[in-house]
Order: sequence, then C-alpha cells, then structure tokens
Amino acid sequence: MAKKISKKDIAQLLKTWSQQFTVLAPSRASGVAEMAEWDGKDTSFLDWYRNTTVPPKASFLPPMEEMFRFRKDEEGYRIEPPDKNGRKQLLFGIRPCDARAMAILDMTFEDAYKDPYYLEKRRNTVLVGMGCTNPCESCFCTSMGTSPTDPTNVDIMLIDIGDHFLVEAVTDKGKELITKTKDLKEAAKSDEAEAEKSKETSYNKVVRKLDTKGIKDKLRDSFDDEEFWEKTAAKCISCGICTLLCPTCYCFDINDETDKGEGTRFRSWDSCGFSAYTKMPMENPRSEKWRRVRQKVCHKYEFYPMAFDVIACTGCGRCIRLCPVNWDITQVIESVPDRVKGAK
Amino acid sequence: MTVSDISKRPKFFAQDNVYMPHIAVIEKIIEETPGVSTFHFNFKDKKLAKEFSFESGQFAQYSVFGVGEAPFCISSSPTRPDHLELAVQRVGRVTNALHRLGVGAEIGFRGPYGNSFPLNALKGKNLVFVGGGIGLAPLRSLIWNVIDNRDTYNKVDIVYGARTPADLCFRYDLEAWDKDKTINMVTTIDREAEGWTGKVGMVPKVLEEVAPSAKDAVAIVCGPPIMIRFTFPALEKLGFTPAQMLTTLEKRMKCGIGKCGRCNIGDVYVCRDGPVFSYEQIKNFASSEY
Repeated sequence: MAKKISKKDIAQLLKTWSQQFTVLAPSRASGVAEMAEWDGKDTSFLDWYRNTTVPPKASFLPPMEEMFRFRKDEEGYRIEPPDKNGRKQLLFGIRPCDARAMAILDMTFEDAYKDPYYLEKRRNTVLVGMGCTNPCESCFCTSMGTSPTDPTNVDIMLIDIGDHFLVEAVTDKGKELITKTKDLKEAAKSDEAEAEKSKETSYNKVVRKLDTKGIKDKLRDSFDDEEFWEKTAAKCISCGICTLLCPTCYCFDINDETDKGEGTRFRSWDSCGFSAYTKMPMENPRSEKWRRVRQKVCHKYEFYPMAFDVIACTGCGRCIRLCPVNWDITQVIESVPDRVKGAK
Repeated sequence: MTVSDISKRPKFFAQDNVYMPHIAVIEKIIEETPGVSTFHFNFKDKKLAKEFSFESGQFAQYSVFGVGEAPFCISSSPTRPDHLELAVQRVGRVTNALHRLGVGAEIGFRGPYGNSFPLNALKGKNLVFVGGGIGLAPLRSLIWNVIDNRDTYNKVDIVYGARTPADLCFRYDLEAWDKDKTINMVTTIDREAEGWTGKVGMVPKVLEEVAPSAKDAVAIVCGPPIMIRFTFPALEKLGFTPAQMLTTLEKRMKCGIGKCGRCNIGDVYVCRDGPVFSYEQIKNFASSEY
C-alpha cells in the first residue's frame, strides 16, 4: 500500500532521513542548481525545482575526485588509498530521466573491470525520485524509454498529488526505508487515483518527440558522410558543456598533482568535444571538430546501443537548454539520412 | 560487441581497486636510440614479483608519480619472468619524465591489461613478423616467446626496419635473431647510409621482396601508422587474407580498462577489447577511425 506525505512536512521527512543518511537535495546555494547536502531546513526547491543544471551523476562521479595519495620517504613511494567514507547518502528528488541515466552509467562502471569509486557511492545511496509536473520545452524523455513519473530506476518514488506527494516503494531498499519512516501516512484509494491522473497530465506535457527508430543503422551507414558531419558540427564551438553536463556522459581524465614528492592522483570530467581528449604525441584521430561531434552523437545513439542495447540519452534536454549556440540533438538525430530506405 | 569477457585473462594485481598502481623499481636502462630507452624493472614487493603473470601483447599503465600515467606494452616475454621490460620513445610528458629516471628509481605499474596475441591460433603456423621503429617492442615479447617454445611454431620470418641505422631498436635482439638458424631475419633502413651493408628500402617494399608464403602463415605487424597502412596491402598482394594479419593498436588511454572513454573505435575500446586485433576485425569496426 502506498504512503503519502504533505508538502509542508517534507522538511520533517528530510530531517528524519538526515539521522541515517547524508541527504542531498536540489539546491541553488552555489549559484547553480545541483544536488547538494541539505541544509536542514530549506525546502524552497519544491517551488523552483524543474531539474538541476548539474546532473546527479556528480554525486557518484564527481567533477574532480581523489583516487589516491602518494608520498615519498626514505624507503620510496607509499600509496595511500582514500578513506572509504562508507557514507550512506540519500538523493532526494532525482528526476526519472536522471535516474535512468544512473542505470545507464552503471553498465559502464560495472562492465568487465569494476570501478570501485563509483560503485561504492552507488551502493551506499538511496535514490528518492520525484515526478515532474512541469517538464521543460527541451525535454523529450517520453521518446527515450522513460517518462516524467517513471519509477523504474529509483528506490522510492514521489508523485505530486496537489498538496501531498504519493510515496511508493520501488525496490526492497526503498520498502525497508519507507516501513521505518514514521513521518509517512497511509495513502487512500483516492490519492492513488489522483496520482494516476497526475502522471497522465505530466506525460502529456512533454511535447518534444524524437523518433529513434533505426537510428543505430542510420548512423552506421552515415559514418563516413563527411559532408553531413561537417554540416552537423558547423556551429559547435567545442565548449564541451553538452557532454560535461550530460547525465550519461562519463568520460574522465586522470592527472597527478604534486608538491615535493607528495601528491594526489585525481580524476576529473573530460569531454570528447575537446581536441586534447584523444591527442597523442604524434597524431590525433579526432583533431577535427566534425569528428568529435560525430563521436558524441554516435557514441550515444550507435555505439552504446551496440554494447549495452540502450541509447545513452534519456531525453533530459540539458544539452539543448545549455548549448550556447543552440545545437539541438533532436534535430541532428532527425536529420541523419536514411540511406537504405532510399531517401537518396 | 558485447561486454567483454576478461575472466580468462591474467589477473590484474591491484588489491580491490583496479586504479591502484604497484611500486616497481628500475633495475637497468638500455639506450636503444637517442630517443628510445628500454627499462628493466621489477616489483618492489617480492611476493608480487613472483606471482605476477601476463601474456605477450598485453600492456600496462606506468606512472611517474607527480607527472602522470601512460600506457605501454610489456616488451619482454612472459617466458623470461625474472624481470619486466618497458621500451619507450621520448615524445610526451610522461615519456620525458620516464627518460629522466635512473636505475633505482620507482615507478607505478598497474596491469596487465588488454588482450594478447592468440598463441593457440599461432601454434604450428609460419609466423611473419613485420616491425618498424619502436613498433618492435610488442612484437619482441612474442618473438622471444616463440623462440622459447620454438617447436610449437613453424617457420619464422622477421622483417624489421627503421629510418636510419641509428634508429634501429633492440640491436642485441636483432643480432641474436640473425644468428638463429631457425629464423629468417631481414633488417632494413629507409635510405642508403654509410657503412650499412643490410637491406635498404621501406618495410612494406622489403617485405614484398622477402615474399614470405601466405600458406599456413600469420603476419604480425606493428610500427608507425604509415608503415601499417602500407603493410596490409603488401601482405594482401602476397596472398594473406585480412584474418591472417594481426596488429596492435595505439590510442591515448587514461584508465586502461574501458571507462575513461577516449580510446574507442566505434563500440570497441582498444584498451579493453584490444590492443591486438586482426585486420579483418579492424575492417569490420563500426568506425573507420582506427
């Protein structure tokens, strides 16, 4: 049976959860909307929050992350792994598009060699999703296998039903937590009916659609169409924002920082939009901009589906909203020629 | 391409964290050419030195602490496990820093990563090694491996070239292989040079002159991209099919394990799914960006 909570009791709910978890919630304290440690009182995000500018991946793959420290003494180098903080986190309010993005990222970080930094944080985190009631014009989640109220990839899902949220457990982890949380009230049949209505309204508010049928093959057949890619990349300024702030982009760089024999190895977000990304001393396979744009598009819509059977895009719309030159992935995908069916 | 199966590969020795390097100590440095040196090294942890195993063709991530990490093949053979060898050309930040290190210096090592030359498929075959410059480094791991199990393989041809006599790497190996009666060793330089009595000409051209038979043969090619590009057609002329040609690819890599993104060619990660590929595989890549 579902539970519910009044919107004005959210602060109390987060306080309860703060006793057990580090609670992360939408915040604008840093000047940019992101998931940040909850300050213990502010729930104004319930009014302004549509989605964070910085995707929640930052809580698992931080923009910059220490991998280990090294130190040199008389006996040589010593390597000190970072403290396993083992901190239990609760991410409150993640949108379904971004929750799906986490599931997509898991595929890479769990594949073959396990990534300990990402997976530890992932294991220690409870995702509490919050359905969208006000999707952006740039959103196209309903074309990408999810929806504004999709509970698939979270532990607990909240659906807006006016002055309350309907609260549903999705996973065992979610069920366990909900059972223990006394702040939640039993939901009535009418609340559940209200939630169904709310879901439908939200769904219909996502107006942007993208037809991805056959896109993997279309991209494969267009790979060597230099003219198409040059045209597609023409206005891109290689700023990298569409990748850095993409919830499914995971590329990173690894570097050392050192001072007198003591230092840190850290990793940081990187982007296939940058020419240095693939640069080797003697050559660079993607020195030209159109090759990098092609890599970005094909990685999401062709290569990721080849590897994991899923498009690495959830329709969150960030790359459209944040692009300084209005480059639009949905227009690009729609303009990929269908060579087999005979457009030309 | 599905998720790659790494379960049959030699275990990587990195506690529970695949990014954590082991400390290795440089034991000897051989200056191959003015820009290339070979570093002999061993793990500081004696137990690890004993337990460590790898296969010819695999690579590792080497650290100069404070400067960074870069991927290089292990250029020694697993049949000679008393130390490991790393041959590098001084071209970038990490390689320059490596070249400044002396005997006794400590480096970081994590690996082995990647796939390896398919030894089982090479059994009983005639092997044609085609190398250029420092591209001999991954080949020599396999060549010594073959020599140390000589009865397992058939005929061996080696065609190796460099720009000038001074650019020939591993001259002590070239001499040893030249003396080995079971090996046909051909060394060439690009242009005539004073005192040079060996072959003159680019590797693909000399390969065509040597004309090894494609029958029951596998060619293993590694060198500068331009050499590889001309060697494949030369081999095709000699009757080799793309499946009979192997090479090892080089890309910028940071993680070495298929996460950081940059070494991909289509859906293939060179670090995770390679670096050893047949020309047939390369031709079938989802991307023409190799």
